[in-house]
Amino acid sequence: MKLHVQIQRSSGKTDHFEVSYGPEMTVLNILEEIYRHHDATIAYRYSCRTGLCTTCLMMINGKPELSCQKIVETDDEGILTLAPLPKGETIKDLVKEM
Amino acid sequence: MELRQTDILVIGSGAAGLSSAVYAAQSNQHVLVLDKGVIGRSGSSTGAVQIAALGEWSNEDHKDSYLKDIDESGRGLSESSLMEALAEDISDRLKDLTEWGLKLDRNKDKQIAVSHTSGHSLPRSVSAKKGKTGLGILHTLRKKANASDHIETWNDVITIDLIKNGNRVVGAFVLDLKDHQPYLIQCKSVILATGGAGQLYPTTSNPVQSTSDGFSLGLSAGANLVDMEQVQFYPVSMVAPNSIAGFCISFYHYSKLYNSNGSRFMENYEPKQLEDTTRDKLAIAIATEVADGRGTENGGVWLDAADEIDQVKKEFPHEYKLCHERGIDFANNRAEIGPAAHFMMGGVQINEHGATEIPGLYVAGETAGGLHGGNRLGNNALSDCIVFGARAGISSAKEADELSSMPEVNDSMLLTAQQQIEQILTPINGEIRPYQLKEQIQTIMGQHVGVIRTNQGLKIAKEQLDEVETQMRDMTILNTEPYSREILDSIEARHMLRTAKAIVGSAIIRKESRGAHHNTDHPSLASSTYHTVANSHNGELSFSIASVQGGESK
Ligand SMILES: Cc1cc2nc3c(=O)[nH]c(=O)nc-3n(C[C@H](O)[C@H](O)[C@H](O)COP(=O)(O)OP(=O)(O)OC[C@H]3O[C@@H](n4cnc5c(N)ncnc54)[C@H](O)[C@@H]3O)c2cc1C
Repeated sequence: MKLHVQIQRSSGKTDHFEVSYGPEMTVLNILEEIYRHHDATIAYRYSCRTGLCTTCLMMINGKPELSCQKIVETDDEGILTLAPLPKGETIKDLVKEM
Repeated sequence: MELRQTDILVIGSGAAGLSSAVYAAQSNQHVLVLDKGVIGRSGSSTGAVQIAALGEWSNEDHKDSYLKDIDESGRGLSESSLMEALAEDISDRLKDLTEWGLKLDRNKDKQIAVSHTSGHSLPRSVSAKKGKTGLGILHTLRKKANASDHIETWNDVITIDLIKNGNRVVGAFVLDLKDHQPYLIQCKSVILATGGAGQLYPTTSNPVQSTSDGFSLGLSAGANLVDMEQVQFYPVSMVAPNSIAGFCISFYHYSKLYNSNGSRFMENYEPKQLEDTTRDKLAIAIATEVADGRGTENGGVWLDAADEIDQVKKEFPHEYKLCHERGIDFANNRAEIGPAAHFMMGGVQINEHGATEIPGLYVAGETAGGLHGGNRLGNNALSDCIVFGARAGISSAKEADELSSMPEVNDSMLLTAQQQIEQILTPINGEIRPYQLKEQIQTIMGQHVGVIRTNQGLKIAKEQLDEVETQMRDMTILNTEPYSREILDSIEARHMLRTAKAIVGSAIIRKESRGAHHNTDHPSLASSTYHTVANSHNGELSFSIASVQGGESK
C-alpha cells in the first residue's frame, strides 16, 4: 500500500512523498520510513515511543497529536498532512524549540 | 570552535543528571546541564512506573532487609559500599522530592499506595502521577532546576568526547545540533548521566537516545567499565504489534505465561515463584522456550492477565490503555511477549560518592556500574538515580569548591577537537548510511549477545563488530545542514560501536553463567566472584577481571 504524505518544511515549501505503509503504522513509523528511504534531510523529534515524553507532538491532519501514538489516518482526499506546531520557534521542519 | 566555561558540567538530564544538577547547585557553583534531546524528556526516566524506597510506609521493612534483597539479586556482583549508600539515603532523597512538590499516589484509604515487586521480599514500590513516576520526578527536578540561579540548561547538544589535561577530565567537546556549532566546554568536573544502552539491540524498551554514549565517553576518558556483559533484558515486553514492540508490561507477576503448546512453562523453571520471579530467570526461561521451538510465530510466548484484570487496570492504567488502543485488551486477549533490552547493569566504575578513578569525572544513574550486579531489582533504577545523582552532585561541587582555579584547556586540545569536528561535518559519499551502521550493530548484538549466549556466538560478534568498524570509514553523509539526523546518527554509531565491543569483550572473559549473562558453553557459576573490567588505552580496548568488594551473595 502507498500513502500520500504532505509535509510542511521549514524552507517554506511543502514536500510530497509516496510512502509504503501497513495498517498498524504510526505517523512516527512513516517519518522513519521517509528519513531512511526518501529524504535524509527531514527533521522530527521523538524519544520514548510510548506517549509519555510528548516531544513528538506535531500537527497531524490539522490537529496537534503525538506522532508516536497516532495510527496513520488520511483526510478525505487520501492525504496525511504533517506540519510543525503553530506556536513557538521552529528549529527545522517538524522540530520545535522546547 | 567556541569555548564555554562552567564549574560543573552535567551531561544528560534524566533523573540522575537533573538530581546531580540540583544538589550540585546547592553549593552555589555554576552548573550547566546539557542533553542531546530535550532536557528532562529524552531518557529512560520518562517511562519509569514505580520507585522502590523506604519511607513512612516501611513498617516491617528496614535498611537491612532492603540491602539483603539487593545483594541477593545482584548475584554476588553488587559492591557493598554502593548498596549501603542506596539503602542509607533513599528515604531522605525521596523525602526531598516530596518536599519539592512530588505527590506520591495514595490508595482508597488515603494512605501512600505501596505495592509488591518481584524479587523484593516486602512491598516497597511507590509511585507518583498515577504510575507515571519517572515523569513526576523529572517535573519536580526540572521545576527545582529552573528556579535555581546557578543552573543553566541546554537542549539539543550532543557530547562527542571528554577532554583531558594529563589525567584530569577538564571538559567536554560538544556539538549544538541546532546550528552545528561546536563548543569546548571547560569545567572543574563533569558528571556523566547519559542513561543506558538499549539501542544496541534490535528490540528495546529504551528511548531512541539510549545509544550508550556515556559508556563510550567513560572509556575514552580512561575510566574502567565493570560487568558490561550484564545487560538486563526486560522479560515481558510486547512483541507484536510492531508499533509497540519493546513496550514493557509491568504486571507479569499478575499474569500467566504459556508456550505455543499451551503449557505454563514457568512451572518447570521456577515451580514456587512461577512468573513472579526475578528478571534474569524469567528472561532466560522465555528465551529458552523460544530457542527450543516452543515460541509463537513472532518469536515470543503468550501472556494471559485476564484473571487479575481489575488489579492490572488499577495499578498500570497507562500500559493497559496503550495496548488496548493497539488492539490488545488484556481482559479478553492474550498478548505475544518476549525479552527486550532494558537496562545496563554494568557501567562506569564509581565509588560511593559517584566518583571514578579519573579526577574530575563523576558518573550517576544507569551509566554507572557496580550497584545492581548481575540482576537489577525492579524499581531500583530510579532509586539509584536520585541517590547517586545527589551524591555525585554534592561531591563534585565539593571538589570544584576546593580547586583554586579552572583547570587549563590548551590550544592543542582545541585543535584536535577542531579537526575532529571538521571530519564529522564534511559531507562524504561512501557506501553505507549511518543509520544502517546502527542497524548492523543492533543485528549483531541481537543475534549473538542477547539473553542466551555461546562462545562461538561471542567470537562471531567480535569479528562482525570489527567489520562494522572498517565500514564506518566508508559512510555516506549527504546532509550536513543543521539538525542533520545523519550527523547525529554518525556520532551515535561511533559511541555504539565502542560500547558494543566493551560488552562483547566482557562477555568473552566471563567464563560462567551469572545473573543476566547466560552462556550455554559455561552453564554454571564459577567458584569465585569477580568483576569483568573493560578499559581503553590509546583507543585499544583491554579486558581483565577484578575482585568484588561485595556482600554475602554468591
Ligand atoms: C520503559 C521503561 C520503564 C522503566 N520502568 C522503571 C520503573 O518502573 N522503575 C525504575 O526504577 N526504573 C525503571 N526503568 C529504568 C529507569 O527508568 C532508568 O534506568 C533510569 O531512569 C535511567 O535514568 P538516567 O538519568 O540514568 O538516564 P536517562 O533517563 O536515560 O537520561 C539520559 C539522558 O542523557 C541524554 N544523553 C545521552 N547521551 C548523550 C550525549 N552524548 N550528549 C548529551 N546528552 C546525552 C539523553 O538524551 C537522556 O536525556 C525503566 C526504563 C524504561 C526504558
